[in-house]
Amino acid sequence: MAGAAGTGSNPDIRARLRQRFREWINRRIPPSRSVVLDQKRLFIFPSGVGFFFGLCLLVMLLAAINFQNNLSYGLTFLLATLFVLAVLHTFANLSGLEIQAIRARPAFPGQQTEFELRVSRTKKREYFGVFFRFEQGSSARLNLVDEDSGSIHLMAPVEKRGWHHPGRLRIESTYPLGLVRCWTWIDLDLHALVYPRPLPSAELPGLAKDQPDGAAMPVAGSDDFFGFRDYREGDSLRQIHWKGLARGGKVQTKQYTAYADRSVWLDWEMFPGLGTEQRLSHLCYWALEFDRQGQEYGLRLPDLNIAPDVGERHRERILQALALYGIEGGPS
Amino acid sequence: MKLEQQIPRNALVWIVLALFLLVAPHVQRVPIWVVLVFVAAAGWRIMVYRGVWSFPRWPVKLGLILAAFAGILFSFRTIVGLEPTVALLLTAFALKLLELSERKDAYVLLFLGYFVILTVFLFSQDILVVLLCLSNTVVVTAALVALHRPGEDRFTFRPLRLSTVMLAQSIPLMLVLFFLFPRIGPLWTVPIKSQAARTGMSDFMKPGDVSRLSRSGDVAFRVQFEGDVPAQDQLYWRGIVMSRLRGGAWSSLSHFAAPPDERKPVEPELVGDSLRYSIIMEPTQQHWVYSLRYGRSNDSGIVNAADYRLFRMTEIEDDYFYEVQTWPDAQLEPTLSEWRREVELRLPGDNNPRMRALAREMASASGGSREIVDQALALFANEPFGYTLSPPLLPEQDSIDAFLFGTRSGFCEHYASAFVHLMRAAGVPARVVAGYQGGEINPVNGTVIVHQFDAHAWAEVWHEGEGWVRVDPTAAVSPERIELGLEEALSGEGSFLADSPLSPLRFRGVNWVNQLRLRYDAITYRWQSWVTGFDSDRQYQLLSNWFGEFSAQKFALVLLGAGVLVFAPVVITLMLQRKTVQQREMDRLYLKFCERLARMGVERGAGEGPDQYARRASAQLPRLAEQIGEVNRVYQALAYAPAAQEARGLQQLASAIKRVN
Repeated sequence: MAGAAGTGSNPDIRARLRQRFREWINRRIPPSRSVVLDQKRLFIFPSGVGFFFGLCLLVMLLAAINFQNNLSYGLTFLLATLFVLAVLHTFANLSGLEIQAIRARPAFPGQQTEFELRVSRTKKREYFGVFFRFEQGSSARLNLVDEDSGSIHLMAPVEKRGWHHPGRLRIESTYPLGLVRCWTWIDLDLHALVYPRPLPSAELPGLAKDQPDGAAMPVAGSDDFFGFRDYREGDSLRQIHWKGLARGGKVQTKQYTAYADRSVWLDWEMFPGLGTEQRLSHLCYWALEFDRQGQEYGLRLPDLNIAPDVGERHRERILQALALYGIEGGPS
Repeated sequence: MKLEQQIPRNALVWIVLALFLLVAPHVQRVPIWVVLVFVAAAGWRIMVYRGVWSFPRWPVKLGLILAAFAGILFSFRTIVGLEPTVALLLTAFALKLLELSERKDAYVLLFLGYFVILTVFLFSQDILVVLLCLSNTVVVTAALVALHRPGEDRFTFRPLRLSTVMLAQSIPLMLVLFFLFPRIGPLWTVPIKSQAARTGMSDFMKPGDVSRLSRSGDVAFRVQFEGDVPAQDQLYWRGIVMSRLRGGAWSSLSHFAAPPDERKPVEPELVGDSLRYSIIMEPTQQHWVYSLRYGRSNDSGIVNAADYRLFRMTEIEDDYFYEVQTWPDAQLEPTLSEWRREVELRLPGDNNPRMRALAREMASASGGSREIVDQALALFANEPFGYTLSPPLLPEQDSIDAFLFGTRSGFCEHYASAFVHLMRAAGVPARVVAGYQGGEINPVNGTVIVHQFDAHAWAEVWHEGEGWVRVDPTAAVSPERIELGLEEALSGEGSFLADSPLSPLRFRGVNWVNQLRLRYDAITYRWQSWVTGFDSDRQYQLLSNWFGEFSAQKFALVLLGAGVLVFAPVVITLMLQRKTVQQREMDRLYLKFCERLARMGVERGAGEGPDQYARRASAQLPRLAEQIGEVNRVYQALAYAPAAQEARGLQQLASAIKRVN
């Protein structure tokens, strides 16, 4: 930074300040899947309307002084005190809310991803007009009057393949009088999965089959009961073997079969000479295509094989593998 | 429109409601068309809301604004002054409703509403008006609350509760500020109430002026004596001293009409006992204040004029509280300066020849000024003079002659004027004094209530070596007026309070009505002495009573302490609200699980999510890694399970937790 020209250093300084602010807020409000709002996390300051109201109060005070009118003094002081009280009431309208991250819907680039949050109150109080907004994306509002919790859906546009982090969520409220704004920025540690952008290719070179047509394969359809297997994360709760569980057994999932007629392998090597992103895009396109046709398909990536299968869960596994190919980190 | 900017339907109803309640106290003060503008604007806005009409476009809005200005100009003949300004403010307030589409418009409208409430106080500070305004403040605040409750689409009274609570919580600190905020003088001159009638005495007196006042039952001022109230015939409340006669009308000398060395009163020697009392005057839009003979006041802004009347530098536009000390036995100007003598003897022209002849006759027949006075009073007492509120009209020319030798019936101003004419014509310095005589003692709090119908005019005559002495010719004609008051004096006429048929004063015979009136008057007195008449003198008194010697540090401490005292209960109630008893069952189980792990040495950090915690715990307790993972999985799955499967999921969670040991 030393010796940098004034104009050149300006964005630098700003970037550094932003960085410092990010560090500070991360220390103060660390990322977490569930946050209860309290005085440590809430900021409060008069809103623009509040400043305007202050100006009105000043005019009223001048009128009271110039007309020597005691009741005008009284009204002015009453409203000034109301302003100060609004600070407490506005703070109370956010304090005690618990925000839990629920899930982020995966999306293709250029689409909107949807984040779902659950907001519940830990205090017996009515909450009104609480607004939620990611830095980019839609906003939503919530009242908690008769119910103890509600869910919030927020859309945000996504662009790049991989994990999309929407930034911090801004929660704010000016209830009851609009004179004071209370807000917080929380990081719910929510990441949305962004799939590769599907890119059609003329045809799929070298279809590789490895299964005879028409073999019965256990797939997660739900036509015929097939057997049990141990519960794996992501299995539908509907298919958990509750009765067995009630008898004190392990958590098991019921399996059903559907009949797939043939299976295809989608292979990284099918697109020689193309760049990583392009290959992924083509693979993505074909995966979607086969899924649409109801064909079984598998995936071979340089570091990962997924056996052919069909169905929604399978499609998601495939797409996730494509989305995260070569991407480090991200949420567990 | 942004989500935050929408106006909930309920708020719209509250805003329209507030609008009409706010114009109510002003109805008597504004032209009727302003009220119609309110109705029209509300109707238009409702049609917009129903989607029938649309918001006005800018040419229409401009037209409406110009029309409003023209209307004000037409109704008031001026734009300057308080009433036209208020009428304009109210019209703008109504028209703003036609722009109300977003939340920011509503803010402007409602803050303007608060200001409209303030303007009511500039005209009246009556208790009932103030209660009405306080409830209006609650309504405007309720509209503001409703504005921030998105999704309330049906009219409901619920916002009213919060606004009432918040304003109630604001009152204690408001009172502290009210009594502690330094009262400084006006920073610049403000438009006065051009249209407001100057009530009470005017500063010149034509025949008929005082009798008009006698038809009103309004209160002129209230007096609280320290100690006993003097007898009725001692209660001569001097207001205006009139030494100048012009065209048959008496008026007082202005401060600058006197040469510079005559502008200050000659300080009398203070002899005898003094009376102390405080007076709260109703607003008069005039300068003078009332006191008994030779009164002095230490209040800032009250000055003693050269003719010993008290006046205030600024007009009395609100209830005015002041304290007076009076020496009834003091001699006023035992020696008269040349200029003063000349002024108090001036009787211009040569009209009223019979009166002048009578005066000369009296002067030549008597040995001195005292005898002349006695002769004149004897004339009034012995000849058939009558005391009446509705005397026959007198001619313009030689009216005093017509009165003394013709009609011989009149009200106090006729007698005072005729008497001073006689005295001056006879060479005795004399002048007319106008003010009030008597008053009603309120048994509830011991104040003396002086009504407008106690208005009275009498004379002051100067005797060599003795100074100015009060002479009341009316007492010679109608002694009842002084001893029993106007009502008794006029009992045969039925003209008492002819203009106020419903005044409670007319029902003084009905005991409970009278009791109620006197109680309400006592409340009003207290209200005026503590609220509307509160000023810097009163403030200083209050603070020194409470906190001893006054200092800036003490002041700051008091303010701070008061603030803490006032806000502490609010903070406590808001912060320590009951936790919801209904903790979700799954969370209760999960917390049990956390406790188990904590006993094994892995505590869950504040704000640590379940996933993170599970990972950390598995790493530290490898033998339980599988069970911990399972609990976490079931717990997370359960959070999003449909309600129908919750019961099962809970069992599952409970058994998974059991296995963690």
